[in-house]
Amino acid sequence: ITARICLNGIVNQDVQIAEEKPRAIFRTSESNPANHTEQHDCQHYSIPLEEVKVIFPHGLPRRFKEQIETFKEACLMVRKPAVELFGYLKSTNFAQPAIRYVLYGESGTGKTMTLCHAVHYCAKQGWLVLHIPDAHLLVKNCKQLLQSSYKTERIDQPLQASAWLKNFRTSNEHLLREIKTQQKYTWNKWDSTEEGRPLVEMVEQGITRMKTATDVVGAVLKELKRQCSLGSFKLLVAVDGVNAFWGKTTLRKRDKTLVSPEELALVHNLRKMVMNDWSGGAIVTTICQTGSVFKPRLAYLPHELLGDEGFSALEPFVPIQVPKYSEKEFESCYQYYLDRKWLQHEKARTPDGRAELLFLSGANPAQLERLAAML
Amino acid sequence: MAAAVRRVLWLSGVSGAARARPGAQTLRLICTSTAVQNRSHIPGPPVYTQDFIKEQTEEFNLGKRHLANMMGEDPETFTQEDIDDPKELFPSKSVCQWGEDGRPFHFLFYTGSQSYYSLLHEIYAKLLRIQKYEDEMRAQGSFPGTGNELKLIGSRWLIKEELEEMLLDKLSDQDYSLCIRLLERLVASPCSGIEEEYMAKFRRGYVVQVQRFMNEPLQYDEQGVAFSTGEGKRKTARATVIVYDNGSGKITVNGVHYIHYFPILQDREQLMFPAQFLDRLGKLDMVCTVSGGGRSSQAGAIRLAIARALTSFSTKNEVECMRQAGLLTSDPRLKERKKPGQEGARRKFTWKKR
Repeated sequence: ITARICLNGIVNQDVQIAEEKPRAIFRTSESNPANHTEQHDCQHYSIPLEEVKVIFPHGLPRRFKEQIETFKEACLMVRKPAVELFGYLKSTNFAQPAIRYVLYGESGTGKTMTLCHAVHYCAKQGWLVLHIPDAHLLVKNCKQLLQSSYKTERIDQPLQASAWLKNFRTSNEHLLREIKTQQKYTWNKWDSTEEGRPLVEMVEQGITRMKTATDVVGAVLKELKRQCSLGSFKLLVAVDGVNAFWGKTTLRKRDKTLVSPEELALVHNLRKMVMNDWSGGAIVTTICQTGSVFKPRLAYLPHELLGDEGFSALEPFVPIQVPKYSEKEFESCYQYYLDRKWLQHEKARTPDGRAELLFLSGANPAQLERLAAML
Repeated sequence: MAAAVRRVLWLSGVSGAARARPGAQTLRLICTSTAVQNRSHIPGPPVYTQDFIKEQTEEFNLGKRHLANMMGEDPETFTQEDIDDPKELFPSKSVCQWGEDGRPFHFLFYTGSQSYYSLLHEIYAKLLRIQKYEDEMRAQGSFPGTGNELKLIGSRWLIKEELEEMLLDKLSDQDYSLCIRLLERLVASPCSGIEEEYMAKFRRGYVVQVQRFMNEPLQYDEQGVAFSTGEGKRKTARATVIVYDNGSGKITVNGVHYIHYFPILQDREQLMFPAQFLDRLGKLDMVCTVSGGGRSSQAGAIRLAIARALTSFSTKNEVECMRQAGLLTSDPRLKERKKPGQEGARRKFTWKKR
């Protein structure tokens, strides 16, 4: 819709500082997140695709996965919230109870991506990563609900539990082989796991026998919590959309009564995981409106999305805000898209086109990505 | 008629007395022609009384003097010839096209539209002249420049009705377009400057519409920042916008950031249009209030309001450009009323054959 005024002699020239420097300013070759500092701010670093398959079997946003397939590379931008988080993680005292970090911000600003960045960092450091990609998937659109055999008032979700266990095993295989169970678990009349067996066995048990999957998840979480405090490994609990644990669900029982989140066994166990009564790791969470149920569209602050119950349960936590793109970040993203030849429109290269993109996306990363996909 | 018949009878009567029986028979024949006598249902010639005629003459004279007064002529010496316009009486077309021997004057008379084809011939002759001139110039070694397009700006070719008026000939659409194409070809050649006056006959200038230039002066607030207000409407939505200078492209609608208020891309494009048109996209701050209507009409109302507010910041030329782009025109479309007997405004009920 750009229209040039034929009688207007004034030509506006936006002086782009970044355009004078070489185009590679938006990339960095530092692929280890441990070394990312403010010096690398606003630069893209790429993760090798093999690592992506191992570390992120689940957890990346859908659009980012499509972008990886298109560009044949996984490029993440180093941003200030991530750098801040890494500073905190590096200086954690593992003897103290785990600190909770809550990433919050308006929808589409990059909270999940920052979480994935943190997961990559911890995986590179050798931590055991407990990554729950989207907690909202546990509280809505669940087809199969079984009554738990362990505790009758709780409800199992075999599909979600077994899928998660599969991905968990892919990402943490090497560590799970070393960790041994400290207790005997009897799943049902025929299956049981002895003491001292590697956790991998238990996980495989859960994958093969779907009915026991939820119980396996509960047991795994209990083991990890217990053993992490001993200090043999470091644990990162990364939950996306932690506000799903407190609030409402859209699931109904057989007698058409609403299910509350505590009644779901998975949610119950994960809530215990997110408590700060264990040490030897960290808990990084995001609160998300996009998948949430019964929350207003424009809500993004922790208290609004968590509710009173969730807020008091998560308290005390370290809030980290993930803002929209700043000028520099926008420029970096814009240059990245240009470099990848993603912006095909000839006007997109002009300063006017850039101003148009900036205005229409409002410096919101998700909006910019959608706009760029259309061009 | 009756008197004439009676006279015939009387004549016959005089002669009939001297003659024998055959005269009497002739009398009877004439008497029995009744068809002529009983004609009372057919009105005869209009018969006016003398007074009536006098009255009418006086009124006519009075009217004549009035008309003379109105036309500004002398009432005493005012005749029919002053009123008649010779042009109307003798339109040029009706001039006799052929001489006494029946041979037409114009060589293209038998084409049917002689003026049109003669015009085409003329234009082609001019084209040949131009080409000859161009060849001469090239032979001399001087290459012609392109200074012809400038005078085409601000004028347009004749429309079909004007051309018809000029040629006094009916034209079809194809004839008209052929003529215009020929003229364009004439203009396209580089040396067409020599035929400027000829071509000027076929150009009409655009009438520059002098609209009311909504010139509100800029207001300044406490910090010295210039701002101006604008109002706009679309369907049922009403919007007021305050545009501040020296801004960073921040727009607030009803206290909410525009990304959150308008999650749809189309609405944000509407907001962007006026500022982008004037190349001031990231330089203005706007605070808008809007009510009524739906999402799309609210966006349209805000767009109109922004454009109106921006007239204070821009020059007259810019305002004219905005007007031509349609930014300053309020969209008059409203929801059409539903009519009885129909399902909606236009949609009829499903037609059932039986």
